[in-house]
Amino acid sequence: MAGALAAALLAAPVLVGVGYATLGALGLVGPGSREGEASLSRFAGVLGDPAVWEGTVWTLWVAGASTLLATLGAALVAVRFRGKGWVARAGRGLAFLPLPVPHLAAGVGAVLVLGQSGLLARMAYHLGWIHVPADMPALVFDPAGIGFILALTWKELPFLALVAVSVLETRGTALEETALGLGASRVSTLFRITWPVLWRGMLPAAVAVFTFVAGSYEAAVLLAPSHPLALPLLTWERYTDVGLARRGDAYVLALLGLAVAVLAVMVHEWLRARHDGGASP
Amino acid sequence: MNAFRPGRHLALAALALWSVLPLAVLVLVSASGGWRFPSLLGAEPGPASWLHLWRSGDRLLGALGMSVALALSTGAVAAVCGLLLGRALSGLRGWARAVGAGSAFLPVAAPPLALGVGLQYTFLLWGMGGTFHGVLLAHLIPALGYTALFFLGVFAAFDGEIEEEARRLGAGRAQTLLRITFPLLRRPLAEAFLLGFLVSWAQVPLTLLVGQGRVRTLTVEVLAWIEAGQDPLAAAGALSLALPPLFLVAVVALAVRRAEVVTP
Repeated sequence: MAGALAAALLAAPVLVGVGYATLGALGLVGPGSREGEASLSRFAGVLGDPAVWEGTVWTLWVAGASTLLATLGAALVAVRFRGKGWVARAGRGLAFLPLPVPHLAAGVGAVLVLGQSGLLARMAYHLGWIHVPADMPALVFDPAGIGFILALTWKELPFLALVAVSVLETRGTALEETALGLGASRVSTLFRITWPVLWRGMLPAAVAVFTFVAGSYEAAVLLAPSHPLALPLLTWERYTDVGLARRGDAYVLALLGLAVAVLAVMVHEWLRARHDGGASP
Repeated sequence: MNAFRPGRHLALAALALWSVLPLAVLVLVSASGGWRFPSLLGAEPGPASWLHLWRSGDRLLGALGMSVALALSTGAVAAVCGLLLGRALSGLRGWARAVGAGSAFLPVAAPPLALGVGLQYTFLLWGMGGTFHGVLLAHLIPALGYTALFFLGVFAAFDGEIEEEARRLGAGRAQTLLRITFPLLRRPLAEAFLLGFLVSWAQVPLTLLVGQGRVRTLTVEVLAWIEAGQDPLAAAGALSLALPPLFLVAVVALAVRRAEVVTP
């Protein structure tokens, strides 16, 4: 009974939000609504807009690339900096350092390092490689999202490294020692024991990072291009539009953002079930 | 194991550069006194931006105070309520447990902006739009998801026998919770407090949507400085956003280590 109540309490705000956004998307409530007249026209208008799909694909690309880079970096940190020596401790400490830094502060740092008049551009100028900021390749507000991906990788790597280190400590060492004891080479142990253990252990955290990054507004507002417009920026733009009729589009976009998150969780569950099935004898 | 570690010192140097560079640039630019291209150190290196921030007086202090109050309150409430919710969820078995864990994951997975768009009207209806309490409640939605999931994991490995013993010896529910459970779970409580603090401290979309511009936290102010295109001020603001959580994490880590040394 207490468990069911706890679950209901935790889920209620999200369900209320989804319920209101659904009514808003149907045109029943919110700005530009028509009292008592449900319509799918907002869904059709928003989902038929190519800019929405371009923005969604761009958001998924950025979230996928930064999650992949952060996961690989975190796995590398966990493998390279194991043990109790000062190098290992310093390595883990440095990897965890950006963990409490807010995304907004990370975004400002990224703009100042990667921007066309940022630190890298100034160093390139002093080395004689460029003469004016415009000579520097655009790494911020760029259509490929390079700067955005790097900033999100910087911000998400510590959390994944924390998980990777914990996974190796609790599950990896004994299996690796057994494999080495049975005659496996170090390279073979790395690819056949360490990496699969890390991958399975890090998967839930990687999915959490993907969903978080895909919905991140504050980093996007600093680093993402104006075309294509990232899904959170598009949602914000519509929600604050001076035209009341367009504001209602934000409810459809909010539902789309929530659907991406739910889809990611479902993919995670599917992958987990597949791995668990494959692992069983 | 000593395998797979060629060039560890080189890797350490690369990692140091990767982790520290964006923060070092914030320090550099905030103390540049105007960071015009192609200067590396700025026009007049010194504390000008910090003094400017300080002279903005009420606005900066107000935002800082608001952020601290919200983050401390969110951390404290999310830690205690997260413990109770995680404890309740840990009692579920089978499919009910999967549903319970999924319910806790919902507010974590939901994008705060999408959540805020859906919830803004409800907060207005309750008269909580643009108020401290409204923003606190909004911050608690994702924070409680994180801490409930965290305690669900903690209670999976928690031995409840000592609580049973206390109950057999005549302690009431509240007494057991206050005198046995909370002291035993000091470390996870401190970590959950930190988790809640960080969720609130960094929150932007929920603050903007529920706070409606009237609740001005440090993140909202920093966003305004960035949009105004003032690099040194934005860098100083971003640093003032980054330093308190870094300091708090260091304090909690130290406190936890000390507690581990003292506790056998």
